[in-house]
Amino acid sequence: MNTQLHNSQGGATPAYRLIWNLIGNERLTYGIAALALFLATAFQFFVPLIGSATIDFVLTEQKADANPLLKYVIAIIGGPGLVKNHLWLPALGMLGFAIIGGAFSFIQKRRASIASDGICKRLKDQLYNHIQRMTNRYLDQSQTGDLLQRCTSDIETIRLFLAAHVVEIGRALILLVTVLPIMLIMNAWLTLASTFMIPFIVLFGYFYFKRVKKIFKEVDESEGRLTAVVQENITGIRVVRAFGRHDFEIRKFATPNQEYRDTSLRLTRLMSMFWAPSDMMNLTQIGIALVAGTYMALQGMTTIGTLFGFLALLNMVLWPVRMMGRILTDLGKTIVALNRINEILTEPIETEKDSVKIRPERPTSGRIAMRNVTFSHSESDTTVENINFAVEPGETLAILGPSGAGKSTLMHLLLRFYDCDSGEILLDGFDIRELERQYVREQFGVVLQEPFLYSRSIKENIRFGNQVAKESEIYEVARLASIHDTIARFSDGYDTEIGERGITLSGGQRQRVAISRALLSNPPILLLDDALSAVDNETESAIIDALKNRHGKQTTVVIAHRLSTLAHADKIIVMDKGRIIQTGTHDILTREEGLYKRLWDIQTSLEESFQEEAMKAS
Amino acid sequence: MSQPYIEDEFRNKLDLDLWKRIFRFALKHKRLLIPLTSSALLLSVVEAFFPFATKVAIEIVEQGRPVVEVWKPGAIYLMLATMLSVLVLIFIRCAGGISHHISHDIKRDCFKRLQELEFAFYDAQPTGWLISRLTADCDRLSRILAWGFLDLVWGVFYVLAMSAVMLAIHWKLALVVLSTIPPLIIISRFFQKRMLLTSRQIRKHNARITASYNEGIAGVKTTKTLGRETRALDEFKGMSSDMYGASVRRAMLGAIYLPLVMTIGSIGSGLALWYGGQGALNGAITLGTLVMFISFAGNFFFPINQIAMVLAEMQGAQAAGERVMGLLATYPKIKDSDNVKERLVTYEKQAREDPNLAPDGYPHIINEIEFRNIGFSYNEKETVLHDFNLTAKRGQTIALVGPSGGGKSTIVSLVSRFYEPTKGQLLINGVDYRNRSLDWLQGQLGIVLQTPHLFNGSITENIRYGRLEATDEEIVEAAKLVNAHEFIMKLDDGYETKIGEGGALLSTGEKQLVSFARALIANPQIFIMDEATSSIDTETEKLIQDGMRNVFEGRISFVIAHRLSTIRSADQILVVQKGVIEEQGTHEELLANRGHYYELYVNQFRRERVRAELEAS
Repeated sequence: MNTQLHNSQGGATPAYRLIWNLIGNERLTYGIAALALFLATAFQFFVPLIGSATIDFVLTEQKADANPLLKYVIAIIGGPGLVKNHLWLPALGMLGFAIIGGAFSFIQKRRASIASDGICKRLKDQLYNHIQRMTNRYLDQSQTGDLLQRCTSDIETIRLFLAAHVVEIGRALILLVTVLPIMLIMNAWLTLASTFMIPFIVLFGYFYFKRVKKIFKEVDESEGRLTAVVQENITGIRVVRAFGRHDFEIRKFATPNQEYRDTSLRLTRLMSMFWAPSDMMNLTQIGIALVAGTYMALQGMTTIGTLFGFLALLNMVLWPVRMMGRILTDLGKTIVALNRINEILTEPIETEKDSVKIRPERPTSGRIAMRNVTFSHSESDTTVENINFAVEPGETLAILGPSGAGKSTLMHLLLRFYDCDSGEILLDGFDIRELERQYVREQFGVVLQEPFLYSRSIKENIRFGNQVAKESEIYEVARLASIHDTIARFSDGYDTEIGERGITLSGGQRQRVAISRALLSNPPILLLDDALSAVDNETESAIIDALKNRHGKQTTVVIAHRLSTLAHADKIIVMDKGRIIQTGTHDILTREEGLYKRLWDIQTSLEESFQEEAMKAS
Repeated sequence: MSQPYIEDEFRNKLDLDLWKRIFRFALKHKRLLIPLTSSALLLSVVEAFFPFATKVAIEIVEQGRPVVEVWKPGAIYLMLATMLSVLVLIFIRCAGGISHHISHDIKRDCFKRLQELEFAFYDAQPTGWLISRLTADCDRLSRILAWGFLDLVWGVFYVLAMSAVMLAIHWKLALVVLSTIPPLIIISRFFQKRMLLTSRQIRKHNARITASYNEGIAGVKTTKTLGRETRALDEFKGMSSDMYGASVRRAMLGAIYLPLVMTIGSIGSGLALWYGGQGALNGAITLGTLVMFISFAGNFFFPINQIAMVLAEMQGAQAAGERVMGLLATYPKIKDSDNVKERLVTYEKQAREDPNLAPDGYPHIINEIEFRNIGFSYNEKETVLHDFNLTAKRGQTIALVGPSGGGKSTIVSLVSRFYEPTKGQLLINGVDYRNRSLDWLQGQLGIVLQTPHLFNGSITENIRYGRLEATDEEIVEAAKLVNAHEFIMKLDDGYETKIGEGGALLSTGEKQLVSFARALIANPQIFIMDEATSSIDTETEKLIQDGMRNVFEGRISFVIAHRLSTIRSADQILVVQKGVIEEQGTHEELLANRGHYYELYVNQFRRERVRAELEAS
């Protein structure tokens, strides 16, 4: 697997180098394909030549010295005398050469496709792998849409180049190098007369498509605008109906619809201005060969058979040559796409520091500590400063604070999405930067603030926590997360698909599925980043109770703001603006002035205004 | 664009009736269709005559004619080449023209129909699915209609013309060469069908790969926390291998097909040489004729290949055709009854003169809406509302509270007549609303949805959506009334600020304010509001609350309420759960009951206080 596009020095790589590197290990396969193509072409050319030889030596009894190649051909199928009495011989010869040529052509197409599609597959795999392992710092900066575009349309451009263009260019080149010698052997002057226009045909295509390149983009863009209008209309159809704006929408749709039609029509007209002249040029070339050949045959400079052979060969060569110009124009697009993909592949991935990586044999006991942790270089996370805390195995740490206080940042630092700027984070006494990243993450069961579920069945989503889990274990964690009954009510139960092709879960349901997933891995430490925010109070209490009673206590770090959750914690830290402003247990914090106490008061006592209201009502 | 909905259907039988109906779209463009057909016909004849030029040339040599006669084949050739090029120019323009015109027409008709269909239709169809119907399906159909038609006409007539020329010149030799046509047809049909199916598989795999990239990028953090990188890569490799396999299979089919038909072509040429060669030796036919027959034998492949390809594509696109024609044959179920239509005609003039009269002849002012024993179900299985009764009077605000899925949205959809009750009656001023004009009723609605959908454009354009003829001053006035003016003025371009796709550049609260103004500017008699559940900052929320008070006055308002202040100020509160009204009354009455409402209220009370506290610190 070596489709590495980039050279180790980095920097801009020249285009030919990019393509050469891309083709990589498949150079040999392409070589075989080229050889097979050469043989296929040669054999296929023999088919009309048999006709030519038969015409010259058998049917018209020409002076045999006229054409050495044809003489050779007639010798292969048995010599003029034999053929004359057995005309099925050349017929059989034609068939035989066609079959052998066909066999080589089969080999060529198969090899070429194995090479092209193989390269493409490996490039895709490599890109996918790379994206999964890129640093969070890079992922924060890049836009999902842009990344996705590179993974899809740029890859598609390259696929087209490999699957169609490389093969087409190869074919045209090999046809030329095969045909030219044959023609030259048969008749040099006639060769000149039959091929002199080929460079012009290629150049015409090249410059033509270069000039009209813009219109292709315009058509794409106007199609994009049309799709955007449709998309907006259909997603907003309820608003359209609510305001009875169908006529307005129909008028609004008419403009881009007409625009797309008119740009497409313009493209059609332009294309007709390419195909008609290029057809004319090709046919003129054949016509010139015909007239020149006839003239030369009359002068005795060539034979009817040769002329016949020339016309057949020209028909084979000219039509593919016509597309060369367009392919050459498209090369530019391929280079751009290659460069864009190369940019991703040269981005650094999460690598370990050079120092020794420790991977303890046993899972962590669950002891966590942060010492003077400061971190600030991230686009998506809040800066945190001078964070200190310690959690013993089996303890629950609760973090409370307004949004933007830096609570999630702490979670991300624990998971080594980023490394802190100064201070240290300890797991069982090891600095987590010294531990293998994979090991660190294995120690945590995580539910992120906006949990991501994969578009698969619910069961598969939960099973991601532990691939070897039994069904009964899946049901058990789903019960713990109070989602089992909900899932059981879906018509497909646990096999219900989520996402694009399936159902949309509510926020609370998503959170609970994600909690089940985290529980299934039975990790030493559980991280819940506001993981119950969309769950109603009763369900939340049920989940918290279930977690508490779970056998084999885990260390738990939980970000929450409901006191029912916070009150159970062994330690509570209150954060604001990246700093810890209060630390303590529930008992201590309810006695100290501060955010915690204020929240506690609200939730335990009904406020006066409400009391009054309720009194008044009754 | 990703294509999540790629259809796999392939119809073995061509439904000619369907294609006839689809072809009607092409018949509308006779100005292009006639030259297209004639150019295809002429082209097949011209192409059939090309070998004739060769024949003439060879006969000149064969018979040792004077050199000057070389101009003859040259002139024939040049003439044919010019005709061919001109015909190519014409047919590309006509076929392209028809294709794009049809595509435009089908899309226009489908779009129009989609605007008329009721909510129930949209409930059943995912958005992405509908979008691909309107784009991919229409494009594919129009392409096949124009280019497929061209290829069919050209292909059939090319075969016929070549056969005719050959039969006219030497019928025996012609029959020998023509014997290769049946196997060509069988093989081409076989391979074209399979190649099309494999190409589709490739597209399907490709769509899965795109979806996988999408998921890989969007879920990268989760994948990392789960330590799934390797496993995810393995799964991805499975998909890319599938695509690789399908691509190689597709290439293999082509790799077998082409040599195979070329071989058949050479069998034809061989037969012509064998049989015709003997004739040439006897002097029964000229060498020129023989050469011409040999070329013809090799040419049959092209038109037959084209015909097979078009037929396969028609089989592949038939499902798309059925869907598009199906959509065009779907008519809205909720519409004015014949009785209403009659009234609309009868009272047309009167209503125009009298502002107090609605177009259907009933009074324009809505004083009372009554739900009488209303039941509703989306399908037979599940009943959403049972025996629902309510009377709302002009000036009143009705708050609907209760758990999601309890039936609150259904009630407001029934008022809006997006759905009609399956049982009971909904009366406006005592008249069943099915006897009223639908357009009139919906013109009296102002609706603010929970996740307000705004359109890509400026704020002015979005507010004006409520009443297209509203002036800029009226827009500002509406914005002021709902408290949106202040935040709008703070934006870079004020009212002309572009708000992005779906209003992406605004916060949820701001979107709601704009959609509030949009609903208000229509000066509706019935106001429907679905409060946002998602958190809106306290300040904006207060603005919305105040705005509501201004707006609800003098109208009948239905609010699906989540906020205490909204609920408290309502004239009637309905606790809706599992399709029935559990409790009904004013805030004080319900609170005194100490029932379900009391519980809901206490919980909400705490939640709002905590949120306020967390924001303030």
